[in-house]
Amino acid sequence: MSILTVENLSKNYGRIQALKNVSFSVPEGTVFGILGPNGSGKTTMLGTVMDILKPTTGGYKLFDETPTAAHRKKIGTLLETPNFYHYLSGVKNLEIAAEVKQHGKEDIDRVLEMVDLTRRKDSKFSTYSLGMKQRLAIASCLLGNPNVLVFDEPTNGLDPVGIAEIRELMKNLYRQGKTIIMASHLLDEVEKVCTHVAILKRGELITSGNVNEILSNEDMVEVGAPDTDKLQEILKNMHTQTRVTFDGGIIKIFFPVGTANLSEINNYCFNNGVVLNHLLLKKKSLEARFFELTNN
Amino acid sequence: MQHLLKIEWLKVKNYKAFWIFSILYSFAILGINYTGYYVNELAVQNMPASQILLGTPYAFPKVWQTVGFMSSWLLYFPGILFIMLLTNEFNFKTHRQNIIDGWTRKQFITVKFVFAILFSVVATFFNLLVALLFGLITTGSHFSFTGFENIGYIFIQTVAYITFAMFLAILFRRSGAAIAVFFLYGLIFEWLITALVNFNFHLTPIGYFLPLQVTDVMLPIPFGNEVIYKGAPDLWILVVASVIYICAYYFFALRKFTKEDL
Repeated sequence: MSILTVENLSKNYGRIQALKNVSFSVPEGTVFGILGPNGSGKTTMLGTVMDILKPTTGGYKLFDETPTAAHRKKIGTLLETPNFYHYLSGVKNLEIAAEVKQHGKEDIDRVLEMVDLTRRKDSKFSTYSLGMKQRLAIASCLLGNPNVLVFDEPTNGLDPVGIAEIRELMKNLYRQGKTIIMASHLLDEVEKVCTHVAILKRGELITSGNVNEILSNEDMVEVGAPDTDKLQEILKNMHTQTRVTFDGGIIKIFFPVGTANLSEINNYCFNNGVVLNHLLLKKKSLEARFFELTNN
Repeated sequence: MQHLLKIEWLKVKNYKAFWIFSILYSFAILGINYTGYYVNELAVQNMPASQILLGTPYAFPKVWQTVGFMSSWLLYFPGILFIMLLTNEFNFKTHRQNIIDGWTRKQFITVKFVFAILFSVVATFFNLLVALLFGLITTGSHFSFTGFENIGYIFIQTVAYITFAMFLAILFRRSGAAIAVFFLYGLIFEWLITALVNFNFHLTPIGYFLPLQVTDVMLPIPFGNEVIYKGAPDLWILVVASVIYICAYYFFALRKFTKEDL
Protein backbone atom coordinates (compact mmCIF):
# COMPACT_ATOMS: atom_id res chain seq x y z
CA MET A 1 0.00 0.00 0.00
CA SER A 2 1.11 3.53 -0.69
CA ILE A 3 0.70 5.84 2.27
CA LEU A 4 0.80 8.92 0.10
CA THR A 5 0.54 9.22 -3.65
CA VAL A 6 1.10 12.62 -5.19
CA GLU A 7 -0.23 12.93 -8.71
CA ASN A 8 0.84 15.73 -11.05
CA LEU A 9 0.60 18.27 -8.27
CA SER A 10 1.08 21.93 -9.19
CA LYS A 11 0.66 24.96 -7.01
CA ASN A 12 0.94 28.59 -8.03
CA TYR A 13 1.15 31.62 -5.79
CA GLY A 14 0.22 34.28 -8.28
CA ARG A 15 2.98 34.13 -10.90
CA ILE A 16 5.30 32.05 -8.74
CA GLN A 17 5.10 28.35 -9.43
CA ALA A 18 5.82 26.70 -6.10
CA LEU A 19 5.21 23.16 -7.35
CA LYS A 20 5.45 21.99 -10.93
CA ASN A 21 3.73 18.78 -11.81
CA VAL A 22 5.15 16.73 -8.95
CA SER A 23 4.38 13.02 -8.75
CA PHE A 24 5.74 10.38 -6.41
CA SER A 25 4.53 7.87 -3.91
CA VAL A 26 5.52 6.92 -0.39
CA PRO A 27 5.54 3.16 0.28
CA GLU A 28 4.37 1.87 3.64
CA GLY A 29 7.03 1.35 6.30
CA THR A 30 9.64 3.69 4.87
CA VAL A 31 11.32 6.80 6.17
CA PHE A 32 10.71 9.07 3.26
CA GLY A 33 12.80 12.20 3.08
CA ILE A 34 11.71 15.18 1.05
CA LEU A 35 14.85 17.05 0.36
CA GLY A 36 15.46 20.42 -1.18
CA PRO A 37 16.95 23.83 -0.57
CA ASN A 38 14.92 26.62 1.06
CA GLY A 39 11.98 27.59 -1.10
CA SER A 40 12.01 24.40 -3.13
CA GLY A 41 8.38 23.61 -2.28
CA LYS A 42 8.71 21.05 0.51
CA THR A 43 6.30 22.71 2.93
CA THR A 44 3.93 23.68 0.11
CA MET A 45 3.81 20.02 -0.87
CA LEU A 46 3.06 18.80 2.64
CA GLY A 47 0.63 21.68 3.26
CA THR A 48 -1.34 20.67 0.18
CA VAL A 49 -1.44 17.06 1.28
CA MET A 50 -2.78 18.19 4.68
CA ASP A 51 -5.53 20.28 3.05
CA ILE A 52 -4.36 23.64 4.31
CA LEU A 53 -3.31 24.69 0.82
CA LYS A 54 -5.37 24.14 -2.30
CA PRO A 55 -3.54 22.64 -5.28
CA THR A 56 -3.76 24.60 -8.53
CA THR A 57 -3.91 21.37 -10.51
CA GLY A 58 -3.34 17.71 -9.77
CA GLY A 59 -4.13 15.83 -6.62
CA TYR A 60 -3.06 13.27 -4.07
CA LYS A 61 -4.24 10.18 -2.28
CA LEU A 62 -3.85 9.06 1.30
CA PHE A 63 -3.77 5.32 2.01
CA ASP A 64 -4.68 4.75 -1.66
CA GLU A 65 -7.98 6.54 -1.09
CA THR A 66 -9.47 9.93 -1.86
CA PRO A 67 -8.25 12.02 1.08
CA THR A 68 -10.64 13.03 3.87
CA ALA A 69 -10.36 14.53 7.34
CA ALA A 70 -10.64 11.01 8.77
CA HIS A 71 -7.37 10.09 7.05
CA ARG A 72 -5.65 13.07 8.62
CA LYS A 73 -6.71 11.90 12.08
CA LYS A 74 -4.59 8.80 11.49
CA ILE A 75 -1.48 10.82 10.67
CA GLY A 76 0.62 12.78 13.16
CA THR A 77 1.77 15.93 11.42
CA LEU A 78 4.18 18.70 12.31
CA LEU A 79 4.05 21.30 9.58
CA GLU A 80 6.53 24.17 9.41
CA THR A 81 6.09 25.55 12.94
CA PRO A 82 4.67 24.27 16.23
CA ASN A 83 1.10 25.65 16.19
CA PHE A 84 -0.36 25.91 19.66
CA TYR A 85 -2.49 28.21 21.82
CA HIS A 86 0.06 30.50 23.46
CA TYR A 87 -2.07 31.09 26.55
CA LEU A 88 -2.51 27.39 27.33
CA SER A 89 -0.09 25.01 29.02
CA GLY A 90 1.61 22.24 27.07
CA VAL A 91 -0.69 19.62 28.48
CA LYS A 92 -3.86 21.64 27.78
CA ASN A 93 -2.71 22.13 24.20
CA LEU A 94 -2.25 18.40 23.84
CA GLU A 95 -5.73 17.84 25.27
CA ILE A 96 -7.14 19.92 22.43
CA ALA A 97 -5.06 18.08 19.83
CA ALA A 98 -6.11 14.73 21.30
CA GLU A 99 -9.77 15.73 21.20
CA VAL A 100 -9.52 16.87 17.59
CA LYS A 101 -7.91 13.55 16.71
CA GLN A 102 -10.50 11.83 18.91
CA HIS A 103 -7.96 9.92 20.94
CA GLY A 104 -8.79 10.89 24.50
CA LYS A 105 -6.38 12.10 27.14
CA GLU A 106 -4.80 8.81 28.23
CA ASP A 107 -1.90 9.09 25.81
CA ILE A 108 -0.73 12.55 26.83
CA ASP A 109 1.61 11.57 29.66
CA ARG A 110 3.31 8.98 27.49
CA VAL A 111 4.08 11.36 24.63
CA LEU A 112 5.25 14.12 26.98
CA GLU A 113 7.65 11.64 28.53
CA MET A 114 8.89 10.59 25.09
CA VAL A 115 9.98 14.14 24.26
CA ASP A 116 11.18 14.89 27.77
CA LEU A 117 8.66 17.63 28.53
CA THR A 118 6.93 16.15 31.58
CA ARG A 119 8.64 18.57 33.92
CA ARG A 120 7.31 21.62 32.06
CA LYS A 121 3.94 20.27 30.98
CA ASP A 122 1.98 22.76 33.07
CA SER A 123 3.89 25.82 31.92
CA LYS A 124 2.27 28.06 29.36
CA PHE A 125 3.28 27.41 25.77
CA SER A 126 4.38 31.05 25.44
CA THR A 127 7.07 30.45 28.06
CA TYR A 128 8.63 27.54 26.15
CA SER A 129 11.94 27.85 24.34
CA LEU A 130 12.02 27.19 20.62
CA GLY A 131 13.33 23.68 21.22
CA MET A 132 10.60 22.93 23.76
CA LYS A 133 7.94 24.16 21.37
CA GLN A 134 9.33 21.83 18.75
CA ARG A 135 9.29 18.94 21.22
CA LEU A 136 5.68 19.66 22.11
CA ALA A 137 4.80 19.61 18.42
CA ILE A 138 6.50 16.24 18.04
CA ALA A 139 4.66 14.99 21.14
CA SER A 140 1.40 16.10 19.55
CA CYS A 141 2.24 14.08 16.43
CA LEU A 142 2.80 10.98 18.54
CA LEU A 143 -0.63 11.21 20.22
CA GLY A 144 -2.60 8.04 19.64
CA ASN A 145 0.48 6.24 18.35
CA PRO A 146 -0.31 6.81 14.66
CA ASN A 147 1.21 4.59 12.00
CA VAL A 148 2.11 7.49 9.77
CA LEU A 149 4.05 10.57 10.81
CA VAL A 150 4.79 13.68 8.81
CA PHE A 151 7.60 15.88 10.06
CA ASP A 152 8.53 19.15 8.41
CA GLU A 153 12.00 20.17 9.58
CA PRO A 154 11.65 18.17 12.82
CA THR A 155 14.95 19.20 14.34
CA ASN A 156 14.40 22.92 13.86
CA GLY A 157 15.48 24.83 16.93
CA LEU A 158 16.77 21.81 18.80
CA ASP A 159 20.16 21.65 20.46
CA PRO A 160 22.61 18.91 19.42
CA VAL A 161 21.38 16.57 22.14
CA GLY A 162 17.79 17.23 21.12
CA ILE A 163 18.64 16.57 17.47
CA ALA A 164 20.24 13.25 18.36
CA GLU A 165 17.23 12.32 20.52
CA ILE A 166 14.75 13.08 17.78
CA ARG A 167 16.79 11.08 15.28
CA GLU A 168 16.87 8.17 17.67
CA LEU A 169 13.13 8.54 18.15
CA MET A 170 12.58 8.44 14.41
CA LYS A 171 14.72 5.36 14.02
CA ASN A 172 12.70 3.72 16.79
CA LEU A 173 9.46 4.62 15.10
CA TYR A 174 10.80 3.21 11.86
CA ARG A 175 11.75 -0.04 13.60
CA GLN A 176 8.20 -0.26 14.89
CA GLY A 177 7.12 -0.33 11.25
CA LYS A 178 5.79 3.20 11.08
CA THR A 179 5.94 5.27 7.94
CA ILE A 180 7.67 8.60 8.37
CA ILE A 181 7.57 11.39 5.84
CA MET A 182 10.16 13.99 6.62
CA ALA A 183 10.98 17.23 4.86
CA SER A 184 14.37 18.70 5.47
CA HIS A 185 17.07 20.86 4.03
CA LEU A 186 19.61 19.22 6.33
CA LEU A 187 21.26 16.62 4.17
CA ASP A 188 23.01 14.99 7.00
CA GLU A 189 19.69 14.41 8.71
CA VAL A 190 18.20 12.73 5.68
CA GLU A 191 21.29 10.61 5.18
CA LYS A 192 21.21 9.40 8.75
CA VAL A 193 17.53 8.59 8.96
CA CYS A 194 15.84 8.08 5.60
CA THR A 195 15.34 4.95 3.54
CA HIS A 196 13.77 6.75 0.61
CA VAL A 197 14.13 10.24 -0.70
CA ALA A 198 12.54 12.70 -3.11
CA ILE A 199 14.55 15.70 -4.17
CA LEU A 200 12.83 18.95 -5.02
CA LYS A 201 14.36 21.95 -6.67
CA ARG A 202 12.40 25.12 -7.35
CA GLY A 203 9.15 23.20 -7.27
CA GLU A 204 10.28 20.44 -9.56
CA LEU A 205 10.83 16.86 -8.54
CA ILE A 206 14.34 15.97 -9.64
CA THR A 207 14.34 12.39 -8.55
CA SER A 208 12.80 10.04 -6.03
CA GLY A 209 13.41 6.49 -4.81
CA ASN A 210 15.60 4.41 -2.55
CA VAL A 211 18.14 6.52 -0.73
CA ASN A 212 21.10 4.26 -1.53
CA GLU A 213 20.31 4.21 -5.20
CA ILE A 214 19.87 7.93 -5.44
CA LEU A 215 22.48 9.26 -3.12
CA SER A 216 25.33 6.91 -3.86
CA ASN A 217 25.52 5.73 -7.39
CA GLU A 218 29.04 4.47 -6.88
CA ASP A 219 31.39 3.29 -4.14
CA MET A 220 34.47 5.34 -3.43
CA VAL A 221 37.70 4.17 -1.83
CA GLU A 222 40.45 6.46 -0.66
CA VAL A 223 43.95 5.04 -0.83
CA GLY A 224 47.42 6.30 -0.08
CA ALA A 225 51.01 5.04 -0.28
CA PRO A 226 54.46 6.58 0.06
CA ASP A 227 54.96 6.28 -3.70
CA THR A 228 51.89 8.03 -5.09
CA ASP A 229 52.93 7.83 -8.73
CA LYS A 230 53.44 4.11 -8.68
CA LEU A 231 50.18 3.59 -6.83
CA GLN A 232 48.31 5.53 -9.49
CA GLU A 233 50.08 3.59 -12.17
CA ILE A 234 49.04 0.17 -10.87
CA LEU A 235 45.49 1.24 -10.01
CA LYS A 236 44.89 2.25 -13.61
CA ASN A 237 45.39 -1.36 -14.54
CA MET A 238 42.98 -2.67 -11.94
CA HIS A 239 40.04 -4.01 -13.93
CA THR A 240 37.23 -3.76 -11.30
CA GLN A 241 37.45 0.03 -10.92
CA THR A 242 35.49 2.49 -13.00
CA ARG A 243 37.84 5.45 -12.59
CA VAL A 244 40.70 6.76 -10.51
CA THR A 245 41.18 10.39 -9.51
CA PHE A 246 44.06 12.21 -7.90
CA ASP A 247 43.01 15.35 -6.15
CA GLY A 248 44.54 17.26 -3.25
CA GLY A 249 47.04 14.54 -2.47
CA ILE A 250 44.35 11.88 -2.14
CA ILE A 251 43.80 9.08 -4.60
CA LYS A 252 40.21 7.98 -5.01
CA ILE A 253 39.11 4.80 -6.73
CA PHE A 254 35.49 4.40 -7.82
CA PHE A 255 33.55 1.16 -8.19
CA PRO A 256 29.99 0.27 -9.14
CA VAL A 257 27.66 0.36 -6.09
CA GLY A 258 28.40 -2.45 -3.63
CA THR A 259 31.41 -3.88 -5.42
CA ALA A 260 34.29 -2.18 -3.61
CA ASN A 261 36.28 -4.79 -1.67
CA LEU A 262 39.00 -3.40 0.57
CA SER A 263 40.95 -6.58 1.14
CA GLU A 264 40.99 -7.21 -2.60
CA ILE A 265 42.39 -3.74 -3.21
CA ASN A 266 44.96 -4.17 -0.48
CA ASN A 267 45.97 -7.54 -1.87
CA TYR A 268 46.17 -6.21 -5.42
CA CYS A 269 48.46 -3.34 -4.44
CA PHE A 270 50.69 -5.51 -2.29
CA ASN A 271 51.04 -8.05 -5.09
CA ASN A 272 52.04 -5.21 -7.41
CA GLY A 273 54.72 -4.00 -5.02
CA VAL A 274 52.95 -1.09 -3.28
CA VAL A 275 52.32 -1.07 0.46
CA LEU A 276 49.30 1.07 1.35
CA ASN A 277 49.39 3.42 4.29
CA HIS A 278 45.81 4.58 3.82
CA LEU A 279 42.74 2.60 2.80
CA LEU A 280 39.22 3.81 3.46
CA LEU A 281 35.80 3.02 1.99
CA LYS A 282 33.75 6.17 1.68
CA LYS A 283 30.23 6.62 0.56
CA LYS A 284 30.03 9.55 -1.69
CA SER A 285 28.84 12.34 0.53
CA LEU A 286 25.19 13.18 0.23
CA GLU A 287 26.16 16.78 0.02
CA ALA A 288 28.23 16.22 -3.10
CA ARG A 289 25.44 14.19 -4.64
CA PHE A 290 22.86 16.78 -3.69
CA PHE A 291 24.81 19.58 -5.35
CA GLU A 292 25.31 17.36 -8.35
CA LEU A 293 21.56 16.79 -8.58
CA THR A 294 20.39 20.31 -7.87
CA ASN A 295 23.01 22.29 -9.74
CA ASN A 296 22.30 21.44 -13.33
CA MET B 1 -21.41 19.08 17.17
CA GLN B 2 -21.27 18.44 20.91
CA HIS B 3 -17.76 17.12 20.51
CA LEU B 4 -16.72 20.14 18.46
CA LEU B 5 -18.20 22.46 21.07
CA LYS B 6 -16.30 20.64 23.78
CA ILE B 7 -13.05 21.44 21.95
CA GLU B 8 -14.13 25.05 21.49
CA TRP B 9 -14.80 25.14 25.23
CA LEU B 10 -11.30 23.79 25.95
CA LYS B 11 -9.92 26.66 23.90
CA VAL B 12 -11.72 29.40 25.86
CA LYS B 13 -11.97 27.79 29.30
CA ASN B 14 -8.45 28.82 30.27
CA TYR B 15 -8.33 31.96 28.15
CA LYS B 16 -8.23 34.83 30.62
CA ALA B 17 -9.27 37.47 28.10
CA PHE B 18 -12.47 35.53 27.45
CA TRP B 19 -13.49 35.67 31.10
CA ILE B 20 -12.35 39.24 31.62
CA PHE B 21 -14.33 40.37 28.58
CA SER B 22 -17.38 38.37 29.60
CA ILE B 23 -17.35 39.67 33.16
CA LEU B 24 -16.76 43.26 32.07
CA TYR B 25 -19.55 42.86 29.54
CA SER B 26 -21.95 41.61 32.23
CA PHE B 27 -21.09 44.43 34.59
CA ALA B 28 -21.39 46.91 31.75
CA ILE B 29 -24.91 45.68 30.94
CA LEU B 30 -25.84 46.09 34.57
CA GLY B 31 -24.03 49.42 34.77
CA ILE B 32 -25.41 51.06 31.65
CA ASN B 33 -28.95 50.09 32.64
CA TYR B 34 -28.47 51.27 36.18
CA THR B 35 -27.24 54.58 34.79
CA GLY B 36 -30.33 54.85 32.61
CA TYR B 37 -32.55 53.90 35.50
CA TYR B 38 -30.90 56.30 37.91
CA VAL B 39 -30.89 59.26 35.55
CA ASN B 40 -34.54 58.65 34.75
CA GLU B 41 -35.52 58.42 38.43
CA LEU B 42 -33.55 61.55 39.18
CA ALA B 43 -35.16 63.48 36.35
CA VAL B 44 -38.65 62.45 37.40
CA GLN B 45 -37.91 63.23 41.05
CA ASN B 46 -36.60 66.71 40.35
CA MET B 47 -39.03 67.54 37.63
CA PRO B 48 -42.13 65.37 37.72
CA ALA B 49 -43.31 66.88 34.48
CA SER B 50 -40.44 65.19 32.63
CA GLN B 51 -42.23 61.88 33.01
CA ILE B 52 -44.64 62.99 30.32
CA LEU B 53 -41.69 63.35 27.99
CA LEU B 54 -39.67 60.31 29.06
CA GLY B 55 -42.44 57.87 29.82
CA THR B 56 -41.67 55.03 32.20
CA PRO B 57 -38.78 53.29 30.44
CA TYR B 58 -37.79 51.00 33.32
CA ALA B 59 -41.30 49.92 34.26
CA PHE B 60 -43.04 46.93 32.73
CA PRO B 61 -43.80 46.56 29.87
CA LYS B 62 -41.35 49.12 28.46
CA VAL B 63 -38.38 47.72 30.39
CA TRP B 64 -37.87 44.79 27.95
CA GLN B 65 -37.21 47.25 25.16
CA THR B 66 -35.27 49.72 27.29
CA VAL B 67 -32.77 47.13 28.46
CA GLY B 68 -32.39 45.91 24.88
CA PHE B 69 -31.75 49.40 23.62
CA MET B 70 -29.27 50.32 26.38
CA SER B 71 -27.38 47.04 26.15
CA SER B 72 -27.15 47.24 22.38
CA TRP B 73 -24.48 49.93 22.77
CA LEU B 74 -22.31 47.33 24.47
CA LEU B 75 -22.43 44.76 21.70
CA TYR B 76 -19.02 45.91 20.54
CA PHE B 77 -17.66 44.06 23.58
CA PRO B 78 -18.60 40.53 22.53
CA GLY B 79 -17.85 41.58 18.94
CA ILE B 80 -14.24 42.33 19.84
CA LEU B 81 -14.05 39.18 21.93
CA PHE B 82 -15.04 37.01 18.99
CA ILE B 83 -12.72 38.88 16.65
CA MET B 84 -9.94 38.01 19.10
CA LEU B 85 -11.00 34.37 19.36
CA LEU B 86 -10.76 34.06 15.59
CA THR B 87 -7.65 36.12 14.93
CA ASN B 88 -5.91 34.24 17.75
CA GLU B 89 -6.34 31.11 15.68
CA PHE B 90 -4.85 32.84 12.66
CA ASN B 91 -1.96 34.28 14.67
CA PHE B 92 -1.14 31.01 16.38
CA LYS B 93 -1.80 29.12 13.12
CA THR B 94 -3.97 26.81 15.18
CA HIS B 95 -6.64 27.07 12.49
CA ARG B 96 -4.15 25.16 10.35
CA GLN B 97 -3.32 22.70 13.10
CA ASN B 98 -6.99 21.94 13.77
CA ILE B 99 -7.39 21.01 10.10
CA ILE B 100 -4.12 19.07 10.04
CA ASP B 101 -5.18 17.13 13.11
CA GLY B 102 -8.39 16.08 11.44
CA TRP B 103 -11.10 18.72 11.46
CA THR B 104 -12.73 19.68 8.20
CA ARG B 105 -12.64 23.33 7.25
CA LYS B 106 -16.41 23.44 7.52
CA GLN B 107 -16.32 22.11 11.08
CA PHE B 108 -13.88 24.84 12.06
CA ILE B 109 -16.16 27.64 10.86
CA THR B 110 -19.44 26.05 11.89
CA VAL B 111 -18.47 25.42 15.49
CA LYS B 112 -17.33 29.04 15.83
CA PHE B 113 -20.73 30.27 14.67
CA VAL B 114 -22.58 27.83 16.90
CA PHE B 115 -20.44 28.91 19.82
CA ALA B 116 -21.31 32.54 19.04
CA ILE B 117 -25.01 31.64 19.09
CA LEU B 118 -24.65 29.89 22.45
CA PHE B 119 -22.80 32.90 23.81
CA SER B 120 -25.67 35.08 22.58
CA VAL B 121 -28.17 32.86 24.39
CA VAL B 122 -26.33 33.40 27.66
CA ALA B 123 -25.98 37.15 27.03
CA THR B 124 -29.69 37.40 26.20
CA PHE B 125 -30.62 35.51 29.34
CA PHE B 126 -28.51 37.92 31.37
CA ASN B 127 -30.33 40.83 29.72
CA LEU B 128 -33.60 39.18 30.66
CA LEU B 129 -32.53 39.00 34.30
CA VAL B 130 -31.43 42.63 34.23
CA ALA B 131 -34.78 43.67 32.70
CA LEU B 132 -36.61 41.70 35.39
CA LEU B 133 -34.55 43.33 38.11
CA PHE B 134 -35.13 46.89 36.98
CA GLY B 135 -38.76 46.23 36.12
CA LEU B 136 -39.37 44.96 39.63
CA ILE B 137 -37.54 47.70 41.51
CA THR B 138 -39.20 50.52 39.60
CA THR B 139 -41.93 52.02 41.76
CA GLY B 140 -45.42 51.49 40.49
CA SER B 141 -44.33 48.82 38.01
CA HIS B 142 -46.12 45.47 37.82
CA PHE B 143 -44.70 42.42 36.12
CA SER B 144 -45.98 41.88 32.62
CA PHE B 145 -45.04 39.73 29.65
CA THR B 146 -46.22 42.43 27.29
CA GLY B 147 -43.30 43.42 25.10
CA PHE B 148 -41.43 40.24 26.00
CA GLU B 149 -40.71 39.72 22.29
CA ASN B 150 -38.02 42.37 22.75
CA ILE B 151 -35.96 39.67 24.45
CA GLY B 152 -36.06 37.81 21.13
CA TYR B 153 -34.87 40.96 19.35
CA ILE B 154 -32.02 41.26 21.84
CA PHE B 155 -31.00 37.73 20.95
CA ILE B 156 -31.12 38.35 17.21
CA GLN B 157 -29.24 41.60 17.57
CA THR B 158 -26.53 39.98 19.70
CA VAL B 159 -26.05 37.18 17.18
CA ALA B 160 -26.02 39.67 14.32
CA TYR B 161 -23.33 41.88 15.90
CA ILE B 162 -21.11 38.96 16.88
CA THR B 163 -21.37 37.13 13.58
CA PHE B 164 -20.74 40.37 11.69
CA ALA B 165 -17.58 40.83 13.77
CA MET B 166 -16.55 37.23 13.09
CA PHE B 167 -17.10 37.72 9.41
CA LEU B 168 -14.78 40.74 9.48
CA ALA B 169 -12.19 38.70 11.39
CA ILE B 170 -12.26 35.95 8.78
CA LEU B 171 -12.12 38.52 6.01
CA PHE B 172 -9.17 40.51 7.37
CA ARG B 173 -7.46 37.86 9.51
CA ARG B 174 -5.87 40.59 11.63
CA SER B 175 -7.46 41.74 14.86
CA GLY B 176 -6.42 45.37 14.39
CA ALA B 177 -7.98 45.71 10.96
CA ALA B 178 -11.13 43.82 11.90
CA ILE B 179 -11.71 45.79 15.11
CA ALA B 180 -11.05 49.13 13.40
CA VAL B 181 -13.48 48.38 10.58
CA PHE B 182 -16.06 47.04 13.04
CA PHE B 183 -15.98 50.22 15.11
CA LEU B 184 -15.73 52.73 12.30
CA TYR B 185 -18.46 51.05 10.33
CA GLY B 186 -20.82 50.42 13.23
CA LEU B 187 -20.44 53.70 15.05
CA ILE B 188 -19.95 56.15 12.19
CA PHE B 189 -20.31 54.99 8.63
CA GLU B 190 -23.47 52.99 8.98
CA TRP B 191 -25.31 55.91 10.55
CA LEU B 192 -23.94 58.15 7.85
CA ILE B 193 -25.05 55.83 5.07
CA THR B 194 -28.49 55.36 6.65
CA ALA B 195 -28.94 59.11 6.94
CA LEU B 196 -27.78 59.70 3.37
CA VAL B 197 -29.91 56.96 1.87
CA ASN B 198 -33.06 57.73 3.85
CA PHE B 199 -33.03 61.47 4.08
CA ASN B 200 -30.85 62.86 1.32
CA PHE B 201 -31.93 60.45 -1.37
CA HIS B 202 -35.41 59.88 0.16
CA LEU B 203 -35.08 56.14 -0.21
CA THR B 204 -36.63 55.19 3.16
CA PRO B 205 -36.72 52.45 4.33
CA ILE B 206 -33.74 51.11 2.35
CA GLY B 207 -31.31 52.81 4.74
CA TYR B 208 -32.70 50.75 7.59
CA PHE B 209 -31.59 47.53 5.96
CA LEU B 210 -27.87 47.91 6.57
CA PRO B 211 -26.31 44.97 8.45
CA LEU B 212 -26.23 46.39 11.99
CA GLN B 213 -28.84 49.10 11.50
CA VAL B 214 -31.51 46.56 10.70
CA THR B 215 -31.18 45.14 14.22
CA ASP B 216 -30.94 48.58 15.82
CA VAL B 217 -34.30 49.51 14.32
CA MET B 218 -35.86 46.53 16.11
CA LEU B 219 -35.03 48.11 19.46
CA PRO B 220 -35.59 51.88 19.09
CA ILE B 221 -34.97 54.49 21.76
CA PRO B 222 -37.51 53.80 24.51
CA PHE B 223 -37.53 57.27 26.06
CA GLY B 224 -40.57 59.23 25.09
CA ASN B 225 -43.21 58.32 22.58
CA GLU B 226 -41.79 59.87 19.49
CA VAL B 227 -41.18 57.61 16.51
CA ILE B 228 -37.44 57.70 15.92
CA TYR B 229 -37.17 55.48 12.87
CA LYS B 230 -39.71 57.11 10.62
CA GLY B 231 -41.03 54.83 7.90
CA ALA B 232 -39.38 51.75 9.37
CA PRO B 233 -40.61 48.45 7.95
CA ASP B 234 -42.62 45.97 10.02
CA LEU B 235 -40.74 44.16 12.73
CA TRP B 236 -41.11 40.76 11.13
CA ILE B 237 -39.42 42.10 8.00
CA LEU B 238 -36.54 43.34 10.13
CA VAL B 239 -36.29 39.95 11.80
CA VAL B 240 -36.20 38.16 8.46
CA ALA B 241 -33.60 40.58 7.12
CA SER B 242 -31.42 40.08 10.22
CA VAL B 243 -31.60 36.32 9.90
CA ILE B 244 -30.68 36.57 6.23
CA TYR B 245 -27.65 38.66 7.16
CA ILE B 246 -26.57 36.16 9.82
CA CYS B 247 -26.87 33.30 7.35
CA ALA B 248 -24.97 35.30 4.75
CA TYR B 249 -22.06 35.91 7.17
CA TYR B 250 -21.89 32.20 7.80
CA PHE B 251 -22.01 31.20 4.16
CA PHE B 252 -19.49 33.76 2.97
CA ALA B 253 -17.14 32.97 5.85
CA LEU B 254 -17.50 29.29 5.06
CA ARG B 255 -16.90 29.91 1.38
CA LYS B 256 -13.80 31.94 1.98
CA PHE B 257 -12.43 29.48 4.51
CA THR B 258 -13.08 26.38 2.43
CA LYS B 259 -11.88 27.71 -0.91
CA GLU B 260 -8.67 29.48 0.01
CA ASP B 261 -5.25 28.57 1.34
CA LEU B 262 -5.17 28.76 5.12
